[in-house]
Amino acid sequence: MARYGMALDYKNCINCKACEVACKEENGILMGADKHRIWVGVKEIKGEYPLLDIVSSSFEPSQCQHCDSAPCQEVCPTNATYYDDNGVVRVDPDKCILCSYCMNACPYDARYVDDRTMTVDKCNFCSDTRLARGETTTACQATCPTKVRTFGDLDDPESEISVLLRTREHFSLKSHLGTKPKLFYLT
Amino acid sequence: MAEAVKKQGIKEFITSIPYNKIGLKDLVSFEKTPRNIIIAIITFAFLVSFAVGVTLYLMHGHHAYNVTREHPWGLLIAVYIFFVVSSTGLCIVGSLGDVFGFKEYEMISKRAIFGSIVTIMAGFAVIAFEIGHPVTMLIYNVLTPGFTSAIWWMGTLYGLYLTFMIIEFVFLLKHDMRMARIFGLTGLLVGLAAHSNLGGVFGFLNARTISNGVFYPTYFILTAFITGIFIAFIMMGIRYRLSFPENAKRMLTNLAKIQGLLIAILIFFVTWKMLTDIYGGMPNRSEVALHILGSWTFWAEVVLAMVIPLLIILKSKGSAVLAMFWASLGGMVGVFFMRYNLVHDTQLKPLQMMKVREYQLAPEWVHYFPSAAEIMISLGGLGLCILLYYVGTKLFNLDEEAH
Amino acid sequence: MQVELSRRKFLQGTVALSVAGGSAMSATNLFASTESPEKKLSITTKTGAAKEVKEIPTLCEMCVNKCAAIARVEDGIVTKLDPNPMFPKSKNMLCPRGNAGIQALYDPDRLKYPMIRTGEKGEGKFKRVTWDEAFRYITEKTVKILDEEEDNRSTFLFCAGEGMAEHTFQTFYQAFGSSNWLNHSSICLQTVASAYGVTLGAYPQSDLENAEYIIMAGANRAEAIVTPDTMDIFKRTKGRGAKMVCIDPRFTNTAAKADQWLAINPGTDLAFVLALTYVVLDEELYDKAYVEKYFNDFEAYRSHILTNGYTPEWAEPITNIKAKEIYQIAREFMAHAPKAIYYPGRRSTFAKSDFQLRRAMAIFQALSGGIDTKGGLVFGGKIEIEGHESLMPLYDKAKERGVVKTEAGYADCAVVSGGGSWLAWRNNFLEGKMPYSVRGMFCYKHNPMQNMPNTKKTAEMLKKMELVVCIDTMPSDTVMYADVVLPECTYLERTDPVKTFGGTEPALAQRNKVVEPMFESKPVNEILRGLTKHLSRPLFEVTKKYDSEVQDALTEEDEEAYYEEEFDMTRMYSHDQEVLNAHAVHAHEGAAEALKKYGIYYPKMDQYYKQLSANEHQYYPEKEKFYSVGEGRPQTPSGKVECNLANMSSKGIDGMPTWREEYRFSVPEGKFRLMTGRHAQYTQSGTSNNIVLHDLMPENYIWINKRVAKERGIAFGDKVEVASSTGSTVIRAYPTEKIAPNQVFFIHGFGAESSALTWAYKNGGSDNAVIEDVLEPVYGAAAMHETNVEIRKV
Ligand SMILES: Nc1nc2c(c(=O)[nH]1)N[C@H]1C(S)=C(S)[C@@H](COP(=O)(O)OP(=O)(O)OC[C@H]3O[C@@H](n4cnc5c(=O)[nH]c(N)nc54)[C@H](O)[C@@H]3O)O[C@H]1N2
Ligand SMILES: Nc1nc2c(c(=O)[nH]1)N[C@H]1C(S)=C(S)[C@@H](COP(=O)(O)OP(=O)(O)OC[C@H]3O[C@@H](n4cnc5c(=O)[nH]c(N)nc54)[C@H](O)[C@@H]3O)O[C@H]1N2
Ligand code: SF4
Ligand code: SF4
Ligand code: SF4
Ligand code: SF4
Ligand code: SF4
Ligand SMILES: [Mo]
Repeated sequence: MARYGMALDYKNCINCKACEVACKEENGILMGADKHRIWVGVKEIKGEYPLLDIVSSSFEPSQCQHCDSAPCQEVCPTNATYYDDNGVVRVDPDKCILCSYCMNACPYDARYVDDRTMTVDKCNFCSDTRLARGETTTACQATCPTKVRTFGDLDDPESEISVLLRTREHFSLKSHLGTKPKLFYLT
Repeated sequence: MAEAVKKQGIKEFITSIPYNKIGLKDLVSFEKTPRNIIIAIITFAFLVSFAVGVTLYLMHGHHAYNVTREHPWGLLIAVYIFFVVSSTGLCIVGSLGDVFGFKEYEMISKRAIFGSIVTIMAGFAVIAFEIGHPVTMLIYNVLTPGFTSAIWWMGTLYGLYLTFMIIEFVFLLKHDMRMARIFGLTGLLVGLAAHSNLGGVFGFLNARTISNGVFYPTYFILTAFITGIFIAFIMMGIRYRLSFPENAKRMLTNLAKIQGLLIAILIFFVTWKMLTDIYGGMPNRSEVALHILGSWTFWAEVVLAMVIPLLIILKSKGSAVLAMFWASLGGMVGVFFMRYNLVHDTQLKPLQMMKVREYQLAPEWVHYFPSAAEIMISLGGLGLCILLYYVGTKLFNLDEEAH
Repeated sequence: MQVELSRRKFLQGTVALSVAGGSAMSATNLFASTESPEKKLSITTKTGAAKEVKEIPTLCEMCVNKCAAIARVEDGIVTKLDPNPMFPKSKNMLCPRGNAGIQALYDPDRLKYPMIRTGEKGEGKFKRVTWDEAFRYITEKTVKILDEEEDNRSTFLFCAGEGMAEHTFQTFYQAFGSSNWLNHSSICLQTVASAYGVTLGAYPQSDLENAEYIIMAGANRAEAIVTPDTMDIFKRTKGRGAKMVCIDPRFTNTAAKADQWLAINPGTDLAFVLALTYVVLDEELYDKAYVEKYFNDFEAYRSHILTNGYTPEWAEPITNIKAKEIYQIAREFMAHAPKAIYYPGRRSTFAKSDFQLRRAMAIFQALSGGIDTKGGLVFGGKIEIEGHESLMPLYDKAKERGVVKTEAGYADCAVVSGGGSWLAWRNNFLEGKMPYSVRGMFCYKHNPMQNMPNTKKTAEMLKKMELVVCIDTMPSDTVMYADVVLPECTYLERTDPVKTFGGTEPALAQRNKVVEPMFESKPVNEILRGLTKHLSRPLFEVTKKYDSEVQDALTEEDEEAYYEEEFDMTRMYSHDQEVLNAHAVHAHEGAAEALKKYGIYYPKMDQYYKQLSANEHQYYPEKEKFYSVGEGRPQTPSGKVECNLANMSSKGIDGMPTWREEYRFSVPEGKFRLMTGRHAQYTQSGTSNNIVLHDLMPENYIWINKRVAKERGIAFGDKVEVASSTGSTVIRAYPTEKIAPNQVFFIHGFGAESSALTWAYKNGGSDNAVIEDVLEPVYGAAAMHETNVEIRKV
């Protein structure tokens, strides 16, 4: 039993998308632009060449926020979306009826349809691959050239992520919606 | 019911439901006026397109639809809502007579209740092909119910509602007005609950500021009533081939007056929704509202479902029932856009506003246009509706029984 | 619509196919693994469903960096490549291409069998043959040509791209005895490597982990990934330890991560560096002690800079960088010295002035004293390993390199380095300027068709060659022009020569075979073993016929012994790579075992290597790192920084970096200067068919200034034709403010012409179809950004 979360030192991100490929290969994600568990959002730079507004551009790596108060879970009619013992928000493909309500409800666009099972899929912190094998990093964390991600147990005060969150300022995305994300952006 | 059934035994209770013994021959033996033939051909075409659409779906799954990660709900959801709102509306109209005892509306009760059954069945037929796994739904709705899910409540309550409506209809056929009233009332309440939950499906979406909040659950009841009255006009128009007897005229005039009031309230609602959306100080919401104002489908909804019927009603003080028949046909088209807009507008604003691919324009609005399969299944729903209703008119006596 | 095809299924298909053999396949579909439309399907597999799991340390070869990876093999199928944390160079990372390496192994289009051309060159029609048939064919043709050319071994050209087994191929070239060797350097890093070489004695590394001030000019480390630089720097920019100034005409991802970005006019960096130098000399900001100790000709250089008036004000209109910013950067740089780096760069030849530019950069760096020091440029340490066996017989009849010599140096360029000048060579060949005829070529892991400016000329050259032998893994554009195609297995299917990696934390690394080679592919070592078995003796016979020295020698020596000693080419390939590697590291105890087990070895690794946190590892303790190996001493023969190269002057080359008017950036009205470069998800031309990468970025787009695009009615995604005197290509438009109004850019490596490449074929625009063949005058490198183009909406 743990409560897994992830801290992102997002200013390190160079938008290389190694994390996206690693996730695809680890978790057998389908090809196709819409079929991704993880992404890097890019804010296009403002201004006119050469007077560009350098701080207006940024790379924002993201994935499912594993909300503690997850709208996707709340709206799921069959409880196919559930919190597992580690606080990871997961989808049970056997129960998912593909009503797509969760896709509409997730404020982060974290969900998509897996065409093989025709059920909804999303990041699950590699729970059924790496974590199931006893590994302690996710595929996206391990491969990152600039080490953006730190994954770990928020309930363990000694864990690296807990230390990071105690010592570095951070924010979460769309926090005003009250979803209580477990993805934390370090500033 | 228990009482009635006890008295008769189930088998007897069912076999004693009055209906006309008809064969296939009777079904095709309608008066061959050009208008009827056209309607028959269109219905048949709709049913064929339903079959084709479903086949496409069975072959390609959701790929047959234009739904995407960004726009997961498409035309079929809108059409489903269209039908279930119609159903609720007809249930309200039907209840005026046999539940609330307004005598003059009794002449339409049975017809309206039957209509409500037909429309919700058409709705279910459509949604069955939108939900990826309807069978799984039946199982896990029961095994692991999601009590926090508006969809769960909506689905479950509509299931119950359908049951109550059918029972009410049976008692109406059997002319057991007391039992009909009891089941009618229960059905109505369950229907209203189901229906406001459907509004809640949108109202609970805190990711979608345009839909979030109390508006849709109440608005849905209001527009259901309006829809029910539109359909009442259409049903009566067809029943009397546009030459209404006096009692029908009287009833319809009164209905029109109610309709006038309802539409006025609706306009008031929509105006305030727009005003608060735009000037409420929420950037995301006001952008979407302005975008909606710029779309023709919104104006189709306003003109067809609100402005035209209201003008006719105001001008004639409700007495222009013939004009209202035509306006109601237009009104239903408007109501269709109302449903389509509701679904589409909810998803207009992308949840991911950043570029996630190297060469792409930053997402601004989510685009959607239904695929052929979606359109075919939707038309099929309409075809199904007409067919079932037609069969119903042959099978049952839908007119008011003589007292 | 894309549906998953499991890798297992793909393999079953291919296994079945290889049993069925080639007889059922027509010549045209030799490349396809199956004829079914499944070829279009994707292939990723979820890990963890297998009975048997192996984890094998290997090295990535998706690009030049050679990062350490661990391959997860489940029931014989590679399902995942993970970073190997033990390698100090790659520091526990794999980039997107490294992750997508599995797709190189399972690419349905990959080369599977030896083939001989049946159609026209370039047409892509081949017949499948056995390895023996292929070798016999090559032998026959080679012997015939050499016989006709009277044993002039230089009648064959050998060319190779960069890779761990490049050396294996090079030994073949040496034993063959040709003087015509060309590799990627003259289209890549020739000028920077040579300029730093002659100025500081070596092409140094940058200690970006400790630098406090970095000028990143003409290098795009966020997208052109170079390890460990990419990993070291971006954790520290944006006010987090190091200030990075990015100098690039485009707003790249590196610029996005920089603290300051300056949009320089393309090709004018030399003026910028000269002006920086001016400020430093004029204001006496340089490290006087260092200059005193380690500079040659400092005074001459000083007066050269000052008297020529290379002031920031002078540079401003040339470079488009404000004088005040040049002052600021020069002062800041020196204030942070010696923990300041003017990053040397890698793909270097953008303009004709490049050699001089890199010299000026090296001298500027040296003025700060930031040489061989922590936080500056470092030479680092290196672990010695034993070289590979080679054979270099002397063939009397072999002629010198086929580049026309003039009195000053060479007609095309002043110096010809080991890697040669690809462009000059090709053009001389086409123009009939070779002093003898060159009639055949062997090409290893290299795709000159797509990587050299002026594709048309390259095609012409390949057409003119009587025998083209390509050793590749994919049906590249160059392979389409081959007479004989020899399929090498991919890097995951072979053990490659162990390699030593110098730096502040030196290490050895080895690529271990992960799975057995698929189809009939083989590692180059085995290919050459087979080829030399056929070729060696007949070639010796030709030599015996024409080479009087050999004839003389044979009068005294036993022929068989003499042949075996001096000419037996098979000798170099008689051992398997594993055996050769064990031998190469035998001086280091435990190294061979460690390299097999971990893929990595360095002395005291067992004590030093530690995991510090989930993301951090220690390789060497701080005090054991090789920051400084000679207390700042340059590695030139003189031990000094060479400001003035007198021997260059004699060849008509400026001895000291000098600005010339012809270097000025100018674009005629209505035209655009074309630039090309890297993207983090692609490697040159080599990965363009990789389905997973393709999925991330399906094609390249041309960057064009938004306002200009608007004027011309070009919207996002519109197709435009890009044309120059060389040729044209069609590509989609990406209007953006990240580029100047008179410049355009697109990512290199797209627009393949090989129809055997399912995803890459005619996908996107090909830069080298448009880029003109402009020679950089010192080393004959290809100056890639000297072409002005026209743009037309199509
Ligand atoms: N216009 C323009 N031209 C450029 C550049 C540019 O930016 N713009 N970049 C230049 C630079 S810096 C460089 S380094 C060169 C690179 O030029 P190349 O060295 O030609 O590199 P690649 O394009 O990667 O092509 C490598 C070839 O090797 C094959 N290959 C891959 N792996 C293996 C293997 O394991 N064994 C064998 N036998 N073959 C293999 C691939 O299929 C491919 O055909 O291009 C240069 N050309
Ligand atoms: N992802 C990825 N990484 C790679 C490779 C790859 O193919 N893909 N290839 C590897 C190889 S072989 C090499 S050589 C390196 C290349 O590494 P780099 O040399 O860093 O990469 P490039 O993208 O070729 O170009 C450098 C930058 O110079 C800019 N530039 C162009 N002209 C000028 C100029 O006149 N002045 C200045 N200041 N800037 C200019 C371009 O806009 C571009 O952003 O990358 C290596 N790493
Ligand atoms: S791997 Fe790391 S640097 Fe690359 S895109 Fe992902 S988060 Fe950013
Ligand atoms: S980010 Fe979306 S999918 Fe993930 S837990 Fe939150 S609401 Fe659910
Ligand atoms: S699509 Fe599946 S997971 Fe999502 S709400 Fe519906 S049943 Fe739950
Ligand atoms: S944690 Fe695992 S599943 Fe989630 S995005 Fe990263 S790699 Fe994918
Ligand atoms: S930088 Fe990427 S492609 Fe190159 S060797 Fe490293 S992991 Fe492989
Ligand atoms: Mo390169």
